[in-house]
Amino acid sequence: MSSRMLAGVRVIELAEVWAGPMGGSYLGDLGADVIKVESYPRFSVTRIVTPPVPGQGPSYETSATQQTANRNKRHLALNLRTERGAEVLRRLLVDADILTESYSAGTFDQMGFGWEFCRAVNPRLSLISMPGWGVEGPYQGYVTLGSGLDASGGHWALRGYPGEPADQVPAIFHSDATGALTLVFAAVTALHRREQTGAGARIDLSQIEALAWQLPGAFAEWTMHGREPGKLGNADPFVVPHGVYRAAGGEAAGGGDGEAWVAIAAEDDAQWAGVARAAGHPGWAVDGHAWATVTGRLAARAAIDAALAEYALTATAEQIADAVQAAGGIAAPLIAPWSVLTSPQHQARGWLESVEHRWVGTQLFPGFPWRTSPDAASWDRPSGLVGEHNQELLSALGYSAEEIASMVADGVIGDRYSPRA
Amino acid sequence: MEQPLAGMRVIEVGGTLAVAGATKTFSDFGADVIKVEPRGGAAMRRLPPFRDDEPGPERGAMHIALDTGKRSLVLDVTTPSGRAVLTRLAATARLVFVHLPRAEALAALEAVRCATPRPTAVALAAHGLEGPFAGRVENDMSVFAWSSRMRTHANPGHEPLRYGPGVPTMQWAATAAAAGVAAAWGHAHDGEPRDVEVAGVEALLSNVDAWYVIWALNGIELPRGGGPSKTLYPAGCYECLDGYVLFASAGEPFFSRLCTGIGHPGLPSDPRFATPAAKAEHWDDFMQYLGPWLAERTRDQAFRALQAHGVMLAPVLDIAEAMTTPQALARGSFVSAPLADGGTTTIAGPPFRLADAWAARAAPRLGEHSTALLDELGYSRTEQIALYRAGVTG
Repeated sequence: MSSRMLAGVRVIELAEVWAGPMGGSYLGDLGADVIKVESYPRFSVTRIVTPPVPGQGPSYETSATQQTANRNKRHLALNLRTERGAEVLRRLLVDADILTESYSAGTFDQMGFGWEFCRAVNPRLSLISMPGWGVEGPYQGYVTLGSGLDASGGHWALRGYPGEPADQVPAIFHSDATGALTLVFAAVTALHRREQTGAGARIDLSQIEALAWQLPGAFAEWTMHGREPGKLGNADPFVVPHGVYRAAGGEAAGGGDGEAWVAIAAEDDAQWAGVARAAGHPGWAVDGHAWATVTGRLAARAAIDAALAEYALTATAEQIADAVQAAGGIAAPLIAPWSVLTSPQHQARGWLESVEHRWVGTQLFPGFPWRTSPDAASWDRPSGLVGEHNQELLSALGYSAEEIASMVADGVIGDRYSPRA
Repeated sequence: MEQPLAGMRVIEVGGTLAVAGATKTFSDFGADVIKVEPRGGAAMRRLPPFRDDEPGPERGAMHIALDTGKRSLVLDVTTPSGRAVLTRLAATARLVFVHLPRAEALAALEAVRCATPRPTAVALAAHGLEGPFAGRVENDMSVFAWSSRMRTHANPGHEPLRYGPGVPTMQWAATAAAAGVAAAWGHAHDGEPRDVEVAGVEALLSNVDAWYVIWALNGIELPRGGGPSKTLYPAGCYECLDGYVLFASAGEPFFSRLCTGIGHPGLPSDPRFATPAAKAEHWDDFMQYLGPWLAERTRDQAFRALQAHGVMLAPVLDIAEAMTTPQALARGSFVSAPLADGGTTTIAGPPFRLADAWAARAAPRLGEHSTALLDELGYSRTEQIALYRAGVTG
């Protein structure tokens, strides 16, 4: 948040679950003043979608998602379905630059807000709506998590073991990660548009379309050739070797399954020579050997995979990766979470962030996705407690102490949830 | 109306998939993006698939989809002469993205910082430019391996899997784009150029869907996949008449809505399903209700019928189906993009919609704009011939 890149930009966040809040944290990291208007008295899924951290404090304050996706914001817990709650939002928007919301398509309008409301309150305000399938279109009111967007966006059809049915593919939430970054780009683009026009912009951010942008090769196979790319596993149709092999232990083997794996690839002859040297068979890359050429390796995929599987079992995943890299090939251990702590690279860069939070204590969080100079990002505000900034924000909006107390008494704002809310 | 990023010049150096992906969104929203390519062409031009399976520098799908609207300048930035051109070019830009092997990257970044005025620089490096792994060469799969996400993207007893080909790299690109657009905004408003570094491993490891943080806070490694849960349900893929639908409706209020949607509104209060503990014991019983209902319906029928009740589910679609859903067709999620040779192809449309803001123009031929750009930078034709003869430009 010590970054000044978006200094002076005020963002009001009504977004829930994952993509929107994470994008809001990124905007905060970059220096924007982000105010999260949290649902009240019902709490957001962000607070419970991952398990609470054991220990003190209400469970809705301690989930990992809440910690990472709601940092660097101020928190206001507000019942928007009350007249006074709606008035608080209206006052917040008067001085705001960006409003983000991720309700299902059409819901924000049905609540009595929407684009016309925003424009009337503040013509310089931009509204970014980010339902899963977008605002416009027949899927009005449809609800989903990131896993559903992966399923119907085509990515599901690319992941998994060749020939296995769709129900054996692990569910993932990659579109949340993508949507969060797309939100950042969209917010800055809205600011640029306002410089041209003097007016706020309306942005329809479909999270499934933001994901589609990342699959150009798969879509091209269909549009150019009428072919479904299908599930390739870890293989690359044009690169041998390109796979994952079981290693003889190592750090990653410390988990319950005791498994350690190493990824190995050679995209050209020089990288293949590195793999061959590391494996103790430099002859594999010498003129005349069947595997020394790209086409020779393509024809010998199974034999090369078998040879590398044998090699990978001779050392730990980290040792194999170090040896192959030192010789000029591509290799990486499939690291386990605990290896993040011992990685010499992360240690050298001081990447992890030590953050103290009232209920989860001092923890080592993932660092920022970018590093900037001279104004580096910092984790100035740990995830806000429910309603942590109610008083500060409402006072700034001109509410008297009596009015604030009355709103607390009437449940318009609050600073705790009932456990089953 | 002008596009929102009109007037912003962005330079891309390195020719990788990551750096080309990072600048695409700038180009499509109106920035003047100059793709600085080595003499043989950007490496990402060599990435398949290719039109009609015939490889060539203008035929690759990654180039066609990700280089939209850019201008191409062939320049060898590994030489002093090339870096001097880069310095002059950088002085005309707001933002320069660089993705090169470490030593070349450091030299190119120095050339960029020498520009007056100097632009904001964004360096992409798999592990970052400093640290014991800074010199390592990685690819889409090995960066993902380092992210900790690959290890549990697996079924028990099987090898862990990458995401879709190129997806980790594209996510890294999206990260660099977000950081770059914000840094450029800051630079334009406070006059201070920034140096930004986006390490691929760090970008992926800090994603919301990377589970390091769950392990760090909760001390647990999330279980691997292995089919739909029989204790927390329905979550995962369920078979219907013509394929699978994916549910994420194990919790309330979604479970109750689902029961109503399939015509059994009393199930949530049935003792077999009324508590999480009881529910975990009765998956087979529940399937007596859900299984036949799904078996009579297509994915689309199940999807629409249950979404009308507010149930979180989605059809599992292949690529062709994903491009032709009623929603994708109504919105024009996929658009026709012109090709440099005058033809057209279909690519993904805008990542977000803003009126009169986004356009996908043809990707450039290799070196198509070299002469025009060198003219603009003030190089005489004599100098241009000398640079070309020395192999610096093309």
